[in-house]
Amino acid sequence: MALLEEPIKKVVELKNYINGEWVESRGENVDVVNPVTGKAIAKVPISTKEEIDAAVAAAQEAYPDWRRTAPVARARYLFRLKELLEENFEELSRIQTQEHGKTIDESRGETRRGIENVEVACGIPTLIQGPYSEDIAPGIDEWIIRQPLGVFGIIGPFNFPFMIPLWSAPYALATGNCVVIKPSSEVPNSQARLAELVDEAGFPPGVWNLVHGGRTVVNGMLDHPDIKGITFVGSTPTAKFIYERCGATGKRVIAQGGAKNYMVIMPDCDIRSTIPALMTSFFGNAGQRCLSGANLVVVGDDGFYNKLMDGVADTAAKIIIGSGLDESVQMGPVRDKDKKKRILGYIESGIQQGAKLRLDGRKALKIRGDWPDTCFLGPTILENVAPDTKCGSEEIFGPVMSVMRAKDLDEAIDMCNACSFANAHAIFTSKGKNAREFQYRVVSGNLGINIGIVAPMAWFPFSGAKESFFGVLHTQGQESIRFFTESKVVIQRWA
Amino acid sequence: MIMHTCSEVISFARQLENESAGFYESLARKYAKDGDVFLSFAKENKKNIVQVERAYYGVISDAIEGCFAFEIDTAGYTFKTELAGDASYAGALSRAEEIEVKIVKFYSDAAEQSKALMADVPRNFTLVAKKRSNRISKLQSLR
Repeated sequence: MALLEEPIKKVVELKNYINGEWVESRGENVDVVNPVTGKAIAKVPISTKEEIDAAVAAAQEAYPDWRRTAPVARARYLFRLKELLEENFEELSRIQTQEHGKTIDESRGETRRGIENVEVACGIPTLIQGPYSEDIAPGIDEWIIRQPLGVFGIIGPFNFPFMIPLWSAPYALATGNCVVIKPSSEVPNSQARLAELVDEAGFPPGVWNLVHGGRTVVNGMLDHPDIKGITFVGSTPTAKFIYERCGATGKRVIAQGGAKNYMVIMPDCDIRSTIPALMTSFFGNAGQRCLSGANLVVVGDDGFYNKLMDGVADTAAKIIIGSGLDESVQMGPVRDKDKKKRILGYIESGIQQGAKLRLDGRKALKIRGDWPDTCFLGPTILENVAPDTKCGSEEIFGPVMSVMRAKDLDEAIDMCNACSFANAHAIFTSKGKNAREFQYRVVSGNLGINIGIVAPMAWFPFSGAKESFFGVLHTQGQESIRFFTESKVVIQRWA
Repeated sequence: MIMHTCSEVISFARQLENESAGFYESLARKYAKDGDVFLSFAKENKKNIVQVERAYYGVISDAIEGCFAFEIDTAGYTFKTELAGDASYAGALSRAEEIEVKIVKFYSDAAEQSKALMADVPRNFTLVAKKRSNRISKLQSLR
């Protein structure tokens, strides 16, 4: 099948988008490297504090007029953006593949998920309506008005460079706020292209700003008095740090952290449909999802275990690895060589702590196409992993399946609940009772029943619990509307 | 070649539609008597591409098994579009029928295997299979 054309053909010098202008940064530039080819595709600036301050100032200045723009008019801007995203769907998807390494199907999926959030936010004229009670007492009525707050900061991760800022930005804008987005400096291209489309859609200057960079930009956001709230997706230590700093500076915060998702396999599951779901869950996006399966818990006797694991290992061994722009490829590289090194360390520690290597992704790596193996790693399966080992308890964020066993559902549920993370545990079963027990008793922000990637649609909150989430309200859908607005209660009497 | 990913299956569908459209366009030039029928098939092929791509781009998301959805061997659906210079009209129609049978089988198999995807993809594969199946009786009526 075809190797799709790369949209980025020469090294792009990225700029910040502040107050409707493309502004060159005074910060140092670093290379953005395509993990497949090892070649630079862009130079991204590590912006300065003055530059994040300028973006916040522009957003703050744009806010009063934007807030007074009617919700239906704000929705029309979003409709225009949605049209442009559809028109440029393929280019946006290929940019994600080029900057991140994920397969083209995964990138298109990411683009679609991002657009769905724009679509949901287009419903703002009704989404923003508050409840109204007539006659709470004779002649007295009470209602809620949802009002925007001002400027919000959005800090994106490397694993879903296009989609994740769109879990927040469309809702922030729809509710009348302005935003400053800081994409991951490892994968900034798709956000830069998105900002170009925002510009083309005609949003007023200052409503949507993009500032590339690192810690200086993040700290500049966290400490800025004009930023009313932050949304963040990334690792748990950083999520905690951001949550605490936002608490100290009085900001609203949605801080989504890491994960260690348990996939519980009951002996009554449909193995034929479970295996592809497990492949996507553990090895899709090269395991770099906060919704990825990490620990596979098999319930049942040796006969069932062997039958399942033979199928899982055989299928995983056949996964086609290569460039995500090759349509036949099922798994791309991990994002960079440092991440690969970290994953290799986990595999090594797993073996040292008693795990049995069933499939070794480090060896006999067959890459489709003539690419350097710098960032490639095959699917790895470790059996006999104990939950309290490094491999069993820490987020690996790579294509590694840690297999455990449980004698029954109760034990499997206890294992899930003993985990410090609670992002997306799942069960595979054909029995309603098992599914119901799992749903009822397992602590997990998102929970799957015969679903390997428990990704909430745009009109549902992207939930999370325990060490996977810090905050109260979540991104996406109605909860986003509440996060980005203050509820003003009005009580009125006309005697 | 075995196809596993949605992207390659959609590209393969596009290839089948384009190649068979080219075949019908050449038939229309060669056999003007029924040229309108053949041209309508070629035109319909282009609509089929739009229909299938729209379904795919509409539902592809990272929640479905996009890279593990299929196990389809392209060898089962390939066909020849060249006709010998001295090919009879009946021979050309037989070739067209063979092509349609192969394409119907491709869409039917792809629909069956993509049940795990959101409903639009297999539904549209089935709809296109049905349209192409109807062509077989139309081709037979031209004899």
